Amino acid sequence: MTAVAAAPIARTEARSRVDEIWRIVRLHAINPSIFFGVPWLILGGAWAVSMVIAVIVGSANASPEDLEGMRYSWAVLSPQWYLVVVGVQAIGLTFSFALGFGATRRDFWLGTSLMFVLVSVEMAAAIATLVQVEIATNGWGIGVHMFDALWYGQNWLVDFYTTFALQLLVLFIGASITTVYMRWRMPGMMILLFGGIVLVLAAVAALTFTQSWPAVFDWFAAIGLVGVFTVLLVKAFVWAVAWYFVIRRATPR
Amino acid sequence: MTRTVVRGSGLTKRYGSFTAVDAVDLTLQENRIYGLLGRNGAGKTTIMQLLTGQLFPNAGELEVFGREPAEHADVLRRICFIGEAQRYPENFTPTHVFKAAPWFFEHWDAGLAERLVADFRLPVKRRIKKLSRGQLSAVGVIVGLASRAPITFFDEPYLGLDAVARHIFYDRLLEDYAEHPRTVVLSTHLIDEIANLLEHIILIDQGRILLDRDADEVRGSATTVAGARAAVESFVADRPVIGREGLGGLASVTIDGRLGRADRIRAAELGLELAPVSLQQLIVHMTGTELDADTTEEEAAA
Amino acid sequence: MDESRPIFIQIAEQVENDIIDGVLKEDEQIPSTNELAVFYRINPATALKGVNRLVDDGIVAKRRGIGMFVTLGARARLIDRRRADFATEYIRPLIVEAEKLGIDIDELAGLLRAERIES
Repeated sequence: MTAVAAAPIARTEARSRVDEIWRIVRLHAINPSIFFGVPWLILGGAWAVSMVIAVIVGSANASPEDLEGMRYSWAVLSPQWYLVVVGVQAIGLTFSFALGFGATRRDFWLGTSLMFVLVSVEMAAAIATLVQVEIATNGWGIGVHMFDALWYGQNWLVDFYTTFALQLLVLFIGASITTVYMRWRMPGMMILLFGGIVLVLAAVAALTFTQSWPAVFDWFAAIGLVGVFTVLLVKAFVWAVAWYFVIRRATPR
Repeated sequence: MTRTVVRGSGLTKRYGSFTAVDAVDLTLQENRIYGLLGRNGAGKTTIMQLLTGQLFPNAGELEVFGREPAEHADVLRRICFIGEAQRYPENFTPTHVFKAAPWFFEHWDAGLAERLVADFRLPVKRRIKKLSRGQLSAVGVIVGLASRAPITFFDEPYLGLDAVARHIFYDRLLEDYAEHPRTVVLSTHLIDEIANLLEHIILIDQGRILLDRDADEVRGSATTVAGARAAVESFVADRPVIGREGLGGLASVTIDGRLGRADRIRAAELGLELAPVSLQQLIVHMTGTELDADTTEEEAAA
Repeated sequence: MDESRPIFIQIAEQVENDIIDGVLKEDEQIPSTNELAVFYRINPATALKGVNRLVDDGIVAKRRGIGMFVTLGARARLIDRRRADFATEYIRPLIVEAEKLGIDIDELAGLLRAERIES
């Protein structure tokens, strides 16, 4: 006998929402090396290379001013680039797997965003702390400036905040681009790439023709370092929202 | 009492100009084993991806447990679907898969999963990328069985599995299904081995349903009549023909519809030979190209 | 399993054969549908259909909470029925084939006797 259920059979009582989002975080972290292991390996490697260079330069009787040049190396940002390329690639595969296991796209988005925040907090706290250690040990005893480089070194909180904002931004950009590829393949990537180029060119042209460059630089100067990174944090949020609109109809491949 | 767990009507999925699933109507009842059969590329996987909310249909209506599956956590948590070409997160091993499974399937039976790992001799510490095709299939089979999901989809479950492993799969499926009844959908293009496991058969070709019947009805529903051409033709004259072969004065015609005792006696008197058509043969006839697809469909529906 | 006929009928026949052969005695419990399903590698619903057919024919009967048991007199009834079908199932095709080959009834009877002595 066949009864056509008039009311939805699906249970409506909510299994804890927190659980459904947290399991996505656990899924990303089940193989912790990708997000929590390799970045440290890279950072460690970059640190070792910096030390070796400092020793070589030091033994060549270089002046402390020469070592100052290291302040402009980007070694401190190396794990960020790794996280964008490899970490975000992993997102595409995990998405396909999570959907097979019955996760919704929304929960995947929420869980992965939470994951990004956690990773960013971890990296930011670590780097801000290492900057302080480097300053306190006078460049690991030999005047190396790997962490106390670029804009770093004002104070722990600023270092933490700026690293966090930048890390979050690049992760969300990476995830959005990966998802655009999942959903629209190469044509989508091309449209995104050329659309981006056109937008940048249009902005540059607009600023040039209206002779607004000085005003822009003044504005950056006025908002300061923290202000600039707040702009990045807002952008990270915008990318996160944009990513949601891409992923909510994305299909695994 | 049986409840309808899946109801789809007019389901259509297009990829550009290619229609992978073409206005399909189907219903699945609770606690039955279904066979989703058809040739490669017939649309089996696409249908399963639609039913599991992985794909969004271009047209049609779909209810799984009373509502659209896509993005509804309360529906999706009762579905298990590991695709034939399932992709796994970077550097995943089977251990990772089985560790994550209970977070997603509330009825997950870790003990059963362990027994199956031993049965299939699955190297659980090896990276999924390095597994053979058969071992990869075993991962999917283990997840499907141990999840005990109210609807479980097996997409080409035994690709690459050897005969021993396939029989382990059939036996464990039947044992576990007997104890924990649920709706199971098996998609495959290799039919003979699982024909007896199925309660209901849905045959897909070129994105359309050719046949949607109980397995018992299908079995023995077609017969091949062979003998002298004239005798064969007179015997099959007013019957639905689904396959026709000939060699000189001999003909071999496959007809749809059960033969009664009187028919058999008449065939014997005409000197005709009657041969049963296996499910696999029937499907070859129905999805082959010797007849126009449209007539095949009409006759199947008749 | 024979491909041409519904499996549930074949399952019923298997159990009937076991009853006729005395493997299953009267008043004895028959295997459960799940046991039949796993043993013959068939769908449990199909096995149930087969058993239900036996119930309808009065060959087995349900004892609530325990299982299915062979009814008293089941074996005799089965043999009666098989005998009744014997002519149409076996004799008639035999005669049709014999006529095709020009074997008359007496010769056929002789062949049957000879075959019996051999076996």
